[in-house]
Amino acid sequence: MSVAGYVERNRLGIGGAVATVLLALVLAVAFDLPVESIVTVGFVERSLQAATPIALAAIGGLYAEKSGVFNIGLEGFMILGAANAAAFVWLIGGESPTQGDLWLAIVAAVLVSLVYTLLFAVLLVRYRADQIVAGLAVWFIGLGFGPFSAVLIWGNRNSPGLVSVNDLTVPVLADVPVLGPILFDTSPLVLATAVVAVAAWVFLYRTRYGYWIQAAGENPEALDTAGVNVRRVRYASVLFSGAMAGLAGAVLFAHAGSFTGTGDTMVNGRGWIGIVAYLFGNYNPVGAAAAALLFGGLDMLQIQFQTAGIELPNRLVNLFPYVAVVIVLTVWGSTRMPSAVGESYETEE
Amino acid sequence: MLEASALQRLGIAMASTALALAIGLVVVAAAGYDPVTFLADVFEGAFGDENSIGRTLKFTTMFVLVGVAVAVAFRAGVFNIGVQGQFIVGGFATVVAILWLAPLLPAGTVGGLALLVLGTLAGVVAGGLYAAIPGALKAYGDANEIITTIMLNFIAVGVVGYLVEGPLRGEGNRAPNTARIPEYVSLPSVVFDSPDFSLVGLAVALVVVGVVSVVMIRTRVGYDMVTSGHQEAAATFSGVDAGRTVVTTMAFSGMVAGVAGAVFAIMIQGYYSDPGGVATYGFDAIAVSLLAANNPLGVVPAALLFGGLDSAGTHIGINSDVPPQLIDGIVGLVVLFVAAPELFRMAARRTGLGGERR
Repeated sequence: MSVAGYVERNRLGIGGAVATVLLALVLAVAFDLPVESIVTVGFVERSLQAATPIALAAIGGLYAEKSGVFNIGLEGFMILGAANAAAFVWLIGGESPTQGDLWLAIVAAVLVSLVYTLLFAVLLVRYRADQIVAGLAVWFIGLGFGPFSAVLIWGNRNSPGLVSVNDLTVPVLADVPVLGPILFDTSPLVLATAVVAVAAWVFLYRTRYGYWIQAAGENPEALDTAGVNVRRVRYASVLFSGAMAGLAGAVLFAHAGSFTGTGDTMVNGRGWIGIVAYLFGNYNPVGAAAAALLFGGLDMLQIQFQTAGIELPNRLVNLFPYVAVVIVLTVWGSTRMPSAVGESYETEE
Repeated sequence: MLEASALQRLGIAMASTALALAIGLVVVAAAGYDPVTFLADVFEGAFGDENSIGRTLKFTTMFVLVGVAVAVAFRAGVFNIGVQGQFIVGGFATVVAILWLAPLLPAGTVGGLALLVLGTLAGVVAGGLYAAIPGALKAYGDANEIITTIMLNFIAVGVVGYLVEGPLRGEGNRAPNTARIPEYVSLPSVVFDSPDFSLVGLAVALVVVGVVSVVMIRTRVGYDMVTSGHQEAAATFSGVDAGRTVVTTMAFSGMVAGVAGAVFAIMIQGYYSDPGGVATYGFDAIAVSLLAANNPLGVVPAALLFGGLDSAGTHIGINSDVPPQLIDGIVGLVVLFVAAPELFRMAARRTGLGGERR
């Protein structure tokens, strides 16, 4: 496609992007914002950490949707993933768990997520459950059973401080200015997520199975005719999405070091933001990760505002990601969904 | 889901609830508690004595209102997951309006009545406007209303939470609450002598059910809403403005959520506190509405069921070691099973029970 054609079709989106950048500039000048003390190396580092769970959930969710199943339960699977990771850390390591215990707990939480997701996938694919309603149900189940298990284990909806993941420091490279601390002295989970994003892109767009996933969402009849089991492809994609959301929850826990089950739990809408991240990234895993970084950055602005001495109530700064999601959805919302999303597929038997 | 007959719907709703409760009992047993004692606690907490019944009816009142709010939207094919946010904004507007207007009106019964009406109106308007936002974003920006309404829930909690913490905190309050609304602005207690339940509130909820049913079935606006939900193309062809219908539907749904907020603020709380810690009626409402097949009249028995469950949850929270969050999980399971009617149809066919219904 030509550049002119692209501009023509995305006029609103591009206009919105330009307007956003201009507005940010105007605000920065008008309020004399100390930009350099807001955008610091530490800020980038924190943003990457905040973006990691969102990106993982988003990549999983986009696989499911590409295959024709809208997994709207990401938020719920994240809550259960975080709660289970915390529970396993406690089970394995007790009061003072080690890094090894933490990694084991992450793996265990992902495995348990796979079991939950299998049940969910059976309801969706085999019993043709309403995808929206069942996904919402997963959210409610997470909101109920996540804190429930915390109360069972710790007698409180929040866990005590358990363990958070240590930074991975690469000698020599970590001393490189700017890039060093961002890339070579950070949470290994951030690096792993970057690898996952690229791998997910390659798999989806460069392998045969990736094409099957896309076909299952766009034209299941054709895939069926070609002799591929559509249901099986969808099962695999939904399982992957649930495992990724569980991992996202476990990662959220690993960065925080404890489980919070009060209010909307520590996941606090990140699963929903993940859905918007992949819509914004136009179903491209790398694009979804980039969008997650945007939301992660907005999430971390609060700390920057405080250190820069900008007087804005915390509670309101915390709302930036949610407001951004609404704006993003409105201006860039009309991305093209795979055409068979939401429809269950029946082979002619 | 909508193609099922009424009888089949009822069967599915009951089977979903029974299955969810059964799983809840298994969880209770697995966590090391006695499921029989738990079940006894559930019944005692829901209907055990006058106290329990009053509490059950209090929750029922709330669930009827928020359930109808959800049902209005779902019936018209719009997913309003934002009833919680509209409920918060509506209730907060009610309290603020009453606090602002109270000095201008005479104290006493007449003034109290006027404040009740004006406060509720403020709640209705605020709830309706807050719901119209995602409606307009969907109609004119193609923004998925499921996600925008959920985001607006978070925003409502944050903004109202900020306001009650700071600018609108009642004078001399240590807790982040607004000032209390005047004593004389309250619903009279009839039969039940409870500080946070009045049969008048329940009556208001039932009147709302009646009004909404009439609007949905007997008026042009209601007809347009429902047809747009089922047959968008046909509705557009017959001259219904699809965009405007979405906004109207959302606003109507939000107005009912606003009534719920007003009843909550006046009957239960008497002031407004940080909504981060307030009951999530707006979420359970989705389960209520789905169980009622999104039928405004069906919401009443479904609300009674959930009212009983929540009341049992309160009782369990006080009198037993089982964490009451279990009830929320069970509600989620009910929704999950309601989403998959095929599960029960297949089970019915296998066992030969009611298989001929299809």
